[in-house]
Formats: sequence, C-alpha cells, structure tokens
Amino acid sequence: MTLRADVRLHRGDLELVAHLEADSSGIVAILGPNGSGKTTLLRALAGLLAVEAGRIELDGEVLENTATGTWIAPEHRRVGMVFQSLLLFPQLSALDNVAFGLRSRGVSAAQARTQAYEWLERLEMSAFAASRPRTLSGGQAQRVALARALITEPRLLLLDEPLAAVDASARVELRRTLRTQLAGQQRIRLLVTHDPVEAAALAERVVILEAGHIVQQGSFREVTERPRSDWAARMAGLNLLRGDAAHGCLRLTGGGELTVLGEVSGPALATIHPRAIALHRQQPSGSPRNVVRAVVAGIDHEGDRWRVRLQGRIPLVAEITPAAAAELKLAEGGDVFAAIKATEVDVYPA
Amino acid sequence: MKKGVFGRPPLGLLVPAAVAVLFIALPLIGLLTHVAWRDLAAELGSDEVRTALRLSLECSLLAVVVAIIIGVPLAYVLARSNLPGKGLIRALVVLPLVLPPVVGGIALQTAFGRSTPIGRVLYDGFGVTLPFSTAGAVMAEAFVAFPFLVITVEAGLRQADPGYEEVAATLGARPWRRFWRVTLPLIKPSLLAGAALAWARALGEFGATITFAGSFPGTTQTLPLAAYAAFEGSGEVERAITLSLILLAISVAILVGLRDRWLGTST
Repeated sequence: MTLRADVRLHRGDLELVAHLEADSSGIVAILGPNGSGKTTLLRALAGLLAVEAGRIELDGEVLENTATGTWIAPEHRRVGMVFQSLLLFPQLSALDNVAFGLRSRGVSAAQARTQAYEWLERLEMSAFAASRPRTLSGGQAQRVALARALITEPRLLLLDEPLAAVDASARVELRRTLRTQLAGQQRIRLLVTHDPVEAAALAERVVILEAGHIVQQGSFREVTERPRSDWAARMAGLNLLRGDAAHGCLRLTGGGELTVLGEVSGPALATIHPRAIALHRQQPSGSPRNVVRAVVAGIDHEGDRWRVRLQGRIPLVAEITPAAAAELKLAEGGDVFAAIKATEVDVYPA
Repeated sequence: MKKGVFGRPPLGLLVPAAVAVLFIALPLIGLLTHVAWRDLAAELGSDEVRTALRLSLECSLLAVVVAIIIGVPLAYVLARSNLPGKGLIRALVVLPLVLPPVVGGIALQTAFGRSTPIGRVLYDGFGVTLPFSTAGAVMAEAFVAFPFLVITVEAGLRQADPGYEEVAATLGARPWRRFWRVTLPLIKPSLLAGAALAWARALGEFGATITFAGSFPGTTQTLPLAAYAAFEGSGEVERAITLSLILLAISVAILVGLRDRWLGTST
C-alpha cells in the first residue's frame, strides 16, 4: 500500500508545499517545529482541508486531484485520524465512541459494540467501556481515541502529537502501547510530532517539515547525523555550518573558513559536535588545524555538561565539563579560542 | 463578590439600584395582593380560563416546534457555512426581536391574508385560511419567538468545537449522521435554552397574534389576549388577575429552568 501526495495550500501565513511518499513498511514521523504545517498536512490528507493545487493518491485510488477536480469526501477516504485534542464525543461512553465508526458504516449496534469491546480489551481499556470521556485520564482517553480510529481499518492512519496531552509518567507506558499496536500493520502510518524522542522511538523514517516545506527525510539516524536545517541540527545537538567546499577547505557562507578533510566540493554542509570543540584562553599551538576567536555569549548548564554559546566570526556551541569551565575561568563576555580538529568536521554536499 | 471596604457601593448608586428593584417588585407584589386566593380554585377551573390556558399551551408549544424545525437548520447555516450575505440574513432573523409585534402581525396579514397571492392559493387549493385561525395564532407566535431560538442555538454552535464533526467524518459518518449524532447532542443545552426562551416569548405573545389572528375565545384567544379582554372589555378584573398569575407562574418556572444559564450562582 502506498501514499503519494503532492500538496500545496495556504493557511494564514503558512504556505505548505509538500511532496510526500509513504508505504506501509513502517511508521513515518513528520517532525518539525510548531507552526511548520505538520497538522495542516495531515488535515489535507484526511480531506478536512482542500488542497489548492495537487494530487493525493492512496492505494492506487485518487483521493484528490485539482487538475481533474477529483475530491473524495473524508468519510469515504478510509483515512483515520487521531487528533491532538482527541475529540472523544463527550455524550458517548468509551465503548460507543469506539463503536461510532462501525455504526457509521452500517454495522448493527450489537455487532459494533462487540467489536468495540474487543478493541478496548486490546488496549487494556475494557474496564472503562462505560466511562464518559471526561472521567478518563489523558493516557486512557488517548487509548480510546486510538481504538476508535483503528476499528475502522483505515488504509492510512494519521496520528497528531499522540503523546502531547499525556503527562510524563504515563508517556512511557503509552509509547509502548503505540509501538505494539501500530507494529506490523498493513496500513500507512503517519505520526506528527515535534518531539525527537517520540520520532526515534516509534518511527522507521523521519520527514522533517519546516515552514511548510519538507527539508529532509531519511532514517532518524541519517537525519540526526547529517542534518540539513538549523532546526534539525539543534534537535541533534550539532553545530551546522554552510559554505563552499574545495580542496580541503570549507569557505563558510557567513564568512571565515575551516580546514576540513574529505573529497566534497561545491556547496556543502558541515556538522561539528559541541564536544569536539576545545576551548582555550590562549591561542593554542600544535595539532588542531582550526582555531576560531570568539566571545562567550552564554553558558547553559545541563547536568555535568555545560554548553557554551560562542559569538564570533563563526557562531558555535561548545560543550565542556564544569571542571574545565572552572579551570578556564569562563564567564559571559570573556574571550576564548575554540580549537577544532579537521577530522571532527563532517562535511557533506548541501 | 468582593467583601470588605469595597463591598459597599456609594450611596449615589445604592439608591437608584433600590428604586430599580422596587420598580420591578412593586407591580408583582400588587398583582399578588390582588389575587382572590379563596376563589382561585374555582376561577382556575372555569371553562374560560381552562380554554385559554389549553389554547395558549397548544399554540405556544406548536410555535416552538415550528421554530425548532426551521430555526435549528438556519442557525446551523449561519454558524457553519460561508454563505455570502450571511450578515444580512442574520439581521433579518433578528428583526422580529426589535420589531413592534403589531407591525409583525400586520406584515403577516399582508403576506398571508385572504386576499394575498399566498392566501388565495392556500384557500383555493386547500381551503385553509390563516388569519383569524388557530394556525394563524401559531404563526404569529412563531414569528416573534423563533429569533430567540436561532440566536441561542447559533451561539451554541459557535461554541461547539467543529473538530467533533471532523473526527466523525474521518470515522466514516456522512453529513446527516454527523449532524444528528454529533452536532445536535453537543448543542443540546443551547437548544433547550433557546426553546425555553422561544416558548416564554410565544406564550406571552400579544400584538402580532391579535393583529393577525384576532381574539376569538377557543380559537385564537390565548392567555394574554384573554387577560386583556377580561381586563379591558368585560371588566372582569379578577379573571384578568388570575390569568396574569398563571402567566407569571409559568415565567417563573422558565426562569428557574434557565437559572444556571442566567442567574449567577455566586453571591
């Protein structure tokens, strides 16, 4: 089963232009900052927002095609969606919420309820079958919402921030439930999240959406090792630099240059792990091939690691131990030299 | 409410406020003191009162049903569609709220009277005459009452999260089912409140009814019309007071029913 979507639409200031392909082999996480258009993309796929130009094809069926005027209503798409706010029907019990989709498809009340009960059992929620949604905890409500979406056997399942409304203690448990319930299904599963941990735990493939555009896709590892945007680099905790590479030298877009290894030439990106940046009070001599003068713009404490934000020709973040910071007498506004070995700069084509 | 030094408003406000309370309370007290409590049971049991009460209930409840059948769909369209000219439609719907009821009655007469095109079609085709009939009284009441329902239900629809309809759509529910199974239950409180308001307005309707439907005992003479006829026409003040008492009791009952919506519970 495959999904092929070409979507272009405007929502307020956001212009969403996305080409997305997915199959049923594993969960695809759509990862991006708030306001990047993740939910808008899901809503377009579900048919809740009409695209201005584009084509959505699911399992060989054209759901929407602005060129031919094709538009299948959401109720006929067999696209299930779990909304971020869940939206369990307040007047119905958990059981009747889950049975709703089957009832809408003409299944008899008795049979729909029997199946709904089975789904609640599968999600360990059968004890709450008679409960009204407002009496359920965030995690319980999320399970009911998931059962309600899955019972209709959607070809495409859309999950919008499924763990956002759940407190931290219930999150671990619910993540495990999601992983087991969503594993090995013959349906396409798209998961929208702004939380990299969620994407890493649940998804086979990550699509990074920023300001309405897909900037990168690949495995979580690929995306975090070689990020292609500032947001992705921040998520991975890496310094990301842009420039032009030639003959072992990376000329940075913002000025300055670094000596690097590798054969890359032309427009390039480079990452440097903050831990690979050594700080000195005096100009260091010896092996490091790159030395950058900088001013300490800020120090963030993160347990036994301190992240030092450096301002200078090349903006960088370095990570040092508290002991090293004390030895260097680091303080905001102080001058430092940042030394980076050429081997620690990972250069790849832009 | 704030207590302490700010709990006491200035005298310049307290006095008019007290006048306002008296202004409302005195007429009600006057009405209650003039009720002939001893003869009340007999008066309530009289044919005239019972006829007027029964007719009033029939007409007003039918008017509410009419208001619901046409008002809820209109409220839905106003709340959820992006129809052009919606503002104009809303203004039109709200007009009966501020329009003098007599004007409403005359307007109904000019649209549905015997000599109008619609009136002729109704009479020639179905033998129906609306003016001066019970159906006419229902129409007059519905005309003045249904804006209350539309406004209340529309407000309820605007508060209800349209996301519920969207999730129902992704679960395979078609528009009609979404409306019945999702939207309507969500707006039930607004619908009940709107219906109660419309009912109260229909029950007290006077001007449009007397203009369009006249005041015929047993046919169009509802409680307010009967009270007025007793008071002004036949001079049976006691009966007029009894009829007023019934209307007052019903109004209080409606108010109690809507207390959560209207009367703040904080003291």
